[in-house]
Amino acid sequence: MRDTLYLAWRYLRYHRIKTAILIASITLIIYLPVGLNVLVGQSAAELTARAEATPLLVGARGSALELVLNSLYFEADSPEQMRYAEVSRVANSGLADPIPLYVRFRSREYPIVGTTLEYFDFRKLRFASGRAMAVLGECVLGARAAHALKVGPGDSIVSSPESVFDLVGSYPLRMKVVGVLEPSYTADDLAVFADLKTVWVIEGLGHGHQDLASPEADSAVLAREGNTITANAAVVQYNEITSENIESFHFHGDLAQHPISALFAVPHDDKSQVLLMGRYQGKDEPSQIVRPRDVMNELLETILTVRSYVVAAILIVALATLATAALVFLLSLRLRRREIMTMVKIGGSRSSIASLLLSEIVVVLASGVVLAGGLTLLTGRFGSAAIRTFLLS
Amino acid sequence: MSELRVSRALQLGMLVLGFGWLACSQQTGDATPTVTEQAVPLAVYVVNYPLQYFAERIGGEHVNVSFPAPQGVDPAYWSPDPETVAAYQEADVILLNGASYARWVGRASLPYAKLVDTSASFRERLIPLEGTVTHQHGPTGEHAHVGFAFTSWLDPTLAAEQARAIAQAFTRVRPEHEADFRAQLAGLETDLRALDARLATAAARLENTPLLLSHPVYQYLVRYYGLNARSLHLEPDEPPDPSTWRELQELLAEYPARWMLWEAPPLPETARTLRKLGVESRVIDPCGNVAAEGDFLMIMQRNAAELESVAPAASSASGS
Repeated sequence: MRDTLYLAWRYLRYHRIKTAILIASITLIIYLPVGLNVLVGQSAAELTARAEATPLLVGARGSALELVLNSLYFEADSPEQMRYAEVSRVANSGLADPIPLYVRFRSREYPIVGTTLEYFDFRKLRFASGRAMAVLGECVLGARAAHALKVGPGDSIVSSPESVFDLVGSYPLRMKVVGVLEPSYTADDLAVFADLKTVWVIEGLGHGHQDLASPEADSAVLAREGNTITANAAVVQYNEITSENIESFHFHGDLAQHPISALFAVPHDDKSQVLLMGRYQGKDEPSQIVRPRDVMNELLETILTVRSYVVAAILIVALATLATAALVFLLSLRLRRREIMTMVKIGGSRSSIASLLLSEIVVVLASGVVLAGGLTLLTGRFGSAAIRTFLLS
Repeated sequence: MSELRVSRALQLGMLVLGFGWLACSQQTGDATPTVTEQAVPLAVYVVNYPLQYFAERIGGEHVNVSFPAPQGVDPAYWSPDPETVAAYQEADVILLNGASYARWVGRASLPYAKLVDTSASFRERLIPLEGTVTHQHGPTGEHAHVGFAFTSWLDPTLAAEQARAIAQAFTRVRPEHEADFRAQLAGLETDLRALDARLATAAARLENTPLLLSHPVYQYLVRYYGLNARSLHLEPDEPPDPSTWRELQELLAEYPARWMLWEAPPLPETARTLRKLGVESRVIDPCGNVAAEGDFLMIMQRNAAELESVAPAASSASGS
């Protein structure tokens, strides 16, 4: 047997280019469908991991997919807004802890996520440097956003106008960076986190300006009638919140009526989850509650259907390649007729010659299988990291 | 020799497989240790001294109450620096007075789940502040920075409601100590009821006696006990200017008050001038911050004694 294997090895080594091509073809034939399957499975897991970790999402009625993509991945257009009062509603239900989100504005291409401190604990985000925001006008950056913007604690970033033609819209707000998060390989890495109230300031719902009752503001006052002061456009409004002017910042109207884009509801237990979902089932209910996992699974089902077509196509190609490989072996036998005759003449039995030829085929096939197996294992091990890197870059 | 090469090639293949298997089988275990939190006292942060007193009375040994405002400042207008806000963020429970008290809270990032608005149960009974400036600029239209009178604890019945909110908050976080919290709350409520009875008696003896208030901070006391009082804007540590004295004389002509209630003892010169106008000074300390001596209840009892000292004189004055 050893002699047969030795002769097979010498033959394959002599025809190394042909052997290498055959092994590479067989490796790819096996690896492509199997590896793709593993990779797609991991991509699906990566995509759904964030949805799995978010039990319930409350938003205004509208597209559930848009709501999930905006709230979990900070992608897609802003969904319909709802009132901040919804946060109190969930909290007062005693069934879940609310974490509000307001994802609407950006600093360059990075989404500004207005939320509360609970978000960091909920997502298990840790600080690489600095601290969480403490007062109005402070922000915390995800790892990749900080790297791309080349800023760290102590630096500043500016919110971008929603449109270049937004002449009467909100002023850009200069925010102080007070912390940078460790990489989490999620959408959080590309986000700029600020307190919800800071985002309301960006929107113009809260602002700071000169004290209109002070003599310094006389040039900006059009009229004073009793306790009513009317100012003109010359009133100085602050576009940066500093320790000197923070006292002048204030919000207009009832905070409960201010907008948010969604809220995470973290139920206390399974029963609370069911009860809370039940409370949003009314026909006249202006808000919807969704399980992000269900919404993402629905989306993935569509993607997986496409995958099955791709796998089918690869299998057809694989069959064609295997047929070609068989043809190569058969043609090779014809070309080696004189060699086989020589082996017969020097006393080689039919079984020895057959086992020699079979050994060559088995070694080529086994090498292909082993290499494909190794590649699949490596895909399984490092695929997730590669997906995180490539999906986020 | 050649056999050796075959063998080496096979060994190499096995090695690649082995590494692949090892790499695949590696697991990142998240061995987070479980910490028993029950033995550690609750870290409680408050925004004024009355809440600190209530929290310490109710929580006892189960809480560790912090009130970082420095002595001598009015916590209603104090603003903590970002580092102090960060300390508030780390608390287990943050007790707010509500009623627009401590406006810095509205400008800070505090964890929603830890905030306890102790006046939430009587929100509709809060007293809106008068004389708010309304202004208009930009496209948002006319608006005013409205607020509420915030010394709610000067009405002992509201103080008791705030104390109950604190007990509920503690029980929610540490249900295993519910019995202790209840018992200690009951003791505090008894003290507040006794204070209420004493103040009510003094207020009843005042009948409709006109009183001047140096500052608009006694709204809840005035409302609950039905006092006949008018507020001024005088600071105990600043002498009133001549125009203020003129306005006061004009007021006294139509509103013959003989007593003025101050947040703190007025300057001797101010007290003397007032006495010449027939107005005696008395101190009713709102006790928003930690006092130099005595606790909240002692200061409230002292306030009651001050009111009682007005009451007999008022009775005799009305009798003559």
